[in-house]
Amino acid sequence: MRESVIMKIHYGTALASVALVAVHILFRLTQGFAESLQYESVIANYEFLPYAGMLEIILILLSIHGFNGLRVILLELKQGPTFEKSVTYGCIAAMALIILYGSRTIFMTSMGMV
Amino acid sequence: MAKIDENKEGIKGMVNPTRYGIERFAYLLMRLTGLGLLAYFVAHIYETSNILRGKVGWQEFLAITQTPEGHIILAIVIGMSVFHTVNGIRVMLGHGGIGVGKPARPDYPYAPQSQNARHKIAIYSSIVLAALAMMYGLAVMFGE
Repeated sequence: MRESVIMKIHYGTALASVALVAVHILFRLTQGFAESLQYESVIANYEFLPYAGMLEIILILLSIHGFNGLRVILLELKQGPTFEKSVTYGCIAAMALIILYGSRTIFMTSMGMV
Repeated sequence: MAKIDENKEGIKGMVNPTRYGIERFAYLLMRLTGLGLLAYFVAHIYETSNILRGKVGWQEFLAITQTPEGHIILAIVIGMSVFHTVNGIRVMLGHGGIGVGKPARPDYPYAPQSQNARHKIAIYSSIVLAALAMMYGLAVMFGE
């Protein structure tokens, strides 16, 4: 993929994340910070499917943005075909792992499997 | 070849904020906050996965994070995210050609058009907003 396209994705995921993370934080503040972290409250949040869907989208957006950012930082430090390929595939693998691990929490909790 | 190697400063060159003014400092802070936020994001994914351990497991993990130290770390995360967001929007606008000035003949002292007052104000604003957000976060977390 061309680097210009990757940067457009980087910026797109950033803007979308800002909007959705703002909603995520507002959920914590409107309920009262400490109360919103209580077990029953967290379970209720996950079982509210639109919210669980939003968490999944945030997870995907931030994983893409975060690990592409890490890739960019690492490629600024060192260049070379082997290094660049290793960093790119390493970041994609880490991104996929985080998405899978986070999705597992979201799906199991929202489906009442806790 | 040896001379080229000498000029490669690597991480040391990247983190030196003293040479190029506030723009360089913003560049460094953008990367540091990005790495910090990525570390927090991964930790947050692990933290929230404790819900699968049931009520006792969740309360146990909450007891570790809901401490004064945990609140201070969260306040730093708030500051990092606000700086990263506001400065990121500045960078995006700059890449889109907004706020970088019109092309002009390079005359002495060759001040770059793109490094103008608008961008400097945006960088200082992002630092001030991050500090304000940290204070608000601390007030919310310690106020309860």
